[in-house]
Amino acid sequence: MSALKILAVDDSPTMRRIIVNTLKRAGFEDVVEAEDGKDALAKLQVENVSFIITDWNMPEMDGLTFVTNLRAIEKYKATPVLMVTTRSVKEDIVEAMKAGVNSYIVKPFTPETLKSKIDQILAG
Amino acid sequence: MTNSSSLTDQVKSEIESLSASIGALVDSMQKLRHPISESHQKMPQATNQLDKISQQTLAATQRMLDTVEEINKREDMILESIKYLVSLLPVNSSAEVKEQIRIIQVAAQENLDAAYALMDALQFQDITSQQVDHAASMLEDIEGKLAHILQVVGIEDKAIHETTTQMPTKQRAFDPNADLFEKKTQQADIDELFVKKK
Repeated sequence: MSALKILAVDDSPTMRRIIVNTLKRAGFEDVVEAEDGKDALAKLQVENVSFIITDWNMPEMDGLTFVTNLRAIEKYKATPVLMVTTRSVKEDIVEAMKAGVNSYIVKPFTPETLKSKIDQILAG
Repeated sequence: MTNSSSLTDQVKSEIESLSASIGALVDSMQKLRHPISESHQKMPQATNQLDKISQQTLAATQRMLDTVEEINKREDMILESIKYLVSLLPVNSSAEVKEQIRIIQVAAQENLDAAYALMDALQFQDITSQQVDHAASMLEDIEGKLAHILQVVGIEDKAIHETTTQMPTKQRAFDPNADLFEKKTQQADIDELFVKKK
C-alpha cells in the first residue's frame, strides 16, 4: 500500500471512478478527486498532494491551463503530473510536455499502462 | 432628341427589369423564411436529444459501475475467506480437498479480473459523450448561422431571436478527434517523446 496522495482530475464522473478504482487496485488508496482545473487548484490549497493525474478537455479550466497554473505555484513546481486524455495528436502531446506534464496516456487506457507510467515517473 | 428618348427608354427598361428581379428575390427569400425558421427551431430539440443520450448513458454507466464494485467486494471477500480456509486445513488434508480449494480460488480470481475488465471497458462512456458533445456543438453552430441568415435578410422572427438569445448554452469541453479505437500516436511513440525531452 502506497502512502502517496494522488489528485485525479477529470470532468467525467465515469473516468474519475475508473481511475480511482484502478489506483486502489494498484495499491494507491489515498485519492482526491476534482472535476476540472479550477476545482483541482482549489483542492490543492487544502490537500497535500504528491502526484496528479489530469484530463485535458474539461469545462471551466482545461488540463493544459491547469498544469500551466500549477507549475507557477512554487509548492507544485516539481509535482509529477500524468495527463490521461483522448487527445492523441503529436502536436498536443508536445504542447502538454512543454506545459510541464511528466508523462501522457491516451484513453482508453489499460490499468497496466497507468500503473507503469506512475511507477516510471516516481522512479525519476 | 431621338437619342435621348431612346436612352431614357433603355434606362426605364433596365430599372423595370431590376425591379422585377428584386421582386423575385424578395419572393424567394420570403419562401425561404419558413424552412429556415423551422430548421432553426428544430436545432435546440436536436441538441437536447443528444444531451439526453449523454445523460442517460452516464446514468446507466454509473449503475454498471455500482454493480461491478459490488462484485469486486464480494470476490475479494471470497478470496480472503479461501485464504483463511486454507490456513485452517489440517496438514494431512487430502489432495482432492486442496485441489477443489485451488479451483475455487482460481475461479474467484478470474471473476475479479473479469469484473475489472468490464469496469475498464466502461471508459467508452467518456469517449462517446465527447463525440456527442462535438455533434451537439456543430448543431449549435448551425443554429447560430441560421439565426444570422434570418437577421441579415431582414426576415428575422422576433420570437426566434428571443429564444436564441435567452437559451442557456451548455458549456461543452470535448476533443473533436475523440475515438474509442483509433489513436493517432501510439504509447511507445509518446514515451519516446518524453524520453527525448529528458
